[in-house]
Amino acid sequence: MIRKDLVVLALASASALTGLLAAGSARAAGVPAGTDIENTAVVNYSVGGSAQSISSNTVTVKVAEILDVVVTLQSPTASVAPGDTRQELVYRVTNSGNGPEAFLLTMTSTLTGDQFDPVPAVPAIYFDTDNSGDLSAADTPYVAGSNDPLLQPDAFVTVLVVNDIPTGLASGNRGRSQLTSAARTGTGVPGAVFAGQGVSGTDAVVGTTGADADAIGEYVVSGVSVSAVKSQSVTDPFGSNRPLPGARIIYQIVVAATGTGTANGAAFTDAIPANTSFVAGSIELNGTALTDAADSDVGAYTATPVPQISVQLGNLTQASGPQTIRFAVTIN
Amino acid sequence: MKKGISVSIASALLLAFAAAGQAASQSTVDATARNDAPRGGCIVLKTVAEMEQVYTAENGAAAKRLVPAAKVVPGGEVVWTVTASNVCDKPADKVAIDNPVPDHMRYVADSAMGPGTDIAFSLDGQKFAAPEALTVRGADGAERAARADEYAFIRWTFKNALQPGSVAFARFRAVVK
Repeated sequence: MIRKDLVVLALASASALTGLLAAGSARAAGVPAGTDIENTAVVNYSVGGSAQSISSNTVTVKVAEILDVVVTLQSPTASVAPGDTRQELVYRVTNSGNGPEAFLLTMTSTLTGDQFDPVPAVPAIYFDTDNSGDLSAADTPYVAGSNDPLLQPDAFVTVLVVNDIPTGLASGNRGRSQLTSAARTGTGVPGAVFAGQGVSGTDAVVGTTGADADAIGEYVVSGVSVSAVKSQSVTDPFGSNRPLPGARIIYQIVVAATGTGTANGAAFTDAIPANTSFVAGSIELNGTALTDAADSDVGAYTATPVPQISVQLGNLTQASGPQTIRFAVTIN
Repeated sequence: MKKGISVSIASALLLAFAAAGQAASQSTVDATARNDAPRGGCIVLKTVAEMEQVYTAENGAAAKRLVPAAKVVPGGEVVWTVTASNVCDKPADKVAIDNPVPDHMRYVADSAMGPGTDIAFSLDGQKFAAPEALTVRGADGAERAARADEYAFIRWTFKNALQPGSVAFARFRAVVK
């Protein structure tokens, strides 16, 4: 009877067993490489009424090293201006294998699908040594083959890819840059084996990531930036410039657009400082007086909800040049 | 009729082992038997670790075969096979094979098989029961059915005596965590 049953199993094992060789899923880490998995079976039985028990041989299976890596971008885009230098994209390189592994880092900025090629700085790859999330003086340049990051399973390192931004770009232009990380032991198709090159002499097996990974970040040229520089002058009732009650303060604000593109509908507002009173009719734009009423000219003073002046500057470009606004208050 | 069947059994088994041996010569095998199957009783018990390998058969089709478990990695599946051979001239009865699910591994649901056996599982090595009778107390204090990946022990109880010269099989699969 047992023999007959045996046939069924033998045939089943040859044809019906399912599952895969399984180079391992993309799971992080898992059982560490080099771990021994042991198994011993025990059989209890009886012969002629005498109970007996015996163990099988112990089989030891050593867990091989799986080579996997994940590269993620910490923020998908970086906002830049034409001509900016040493602009960073922030990546994270994670060892998703199950053994300590060193990784080779490479970058490229000559990618398709964008409007410009960022120019790699020299050097172009840094470690975010001070964990500041951006490029700073304390960050260590990466030198391939010299300080390849050695990562424990599940550990990661933050890597900065640094490019210069060309001049003459239009607002909204995009330039792509890519970081690639590859296991030093080797890369290849999932399941490829590097015999004896894993932890403690185990084989190293390429995981589902192919043991290399990349991520692409993007620089986006921002529109114009508008700056406002404010200064003041004081004239007191005695012809001096002490800020006494009754003294007049004239504020001057210079608004300028820089960069490419147009700042549409630029509007300047400024609150009247506490303990001062707006001087009626004092608003000027580029030397031309504006009325306080919200009317056909671009200036206005409003007393509520908070006292403030506003000047509608319209569409500003770098070519518009600086816009000089003045208004006056008296100290209460 | 019965005799004819047992002949075909033998040939099928031989093929399986031949395939395993062939693969072993081509690759590094990390699975090592620390000692030969112990002798001394009427039953010799042997454990083998294998894994499935996909290969291209002579007709060009993809096929699978079992090869010694080398290069096991997290997520990889090991096929554990236990063979019990009766080397005495008397039948052995009340035969039961116990095998823990190895450390670092997770039992694959419904993978345990054994011709002519009743298969029971245990969470603690003490209470063995059919899957539907195994429960665990969840974090909320309520009893729930145990999941296959929580089984820690497997027991195959043979319904019939193991005759002299016969070999009985037990097999299960487990995945490296």
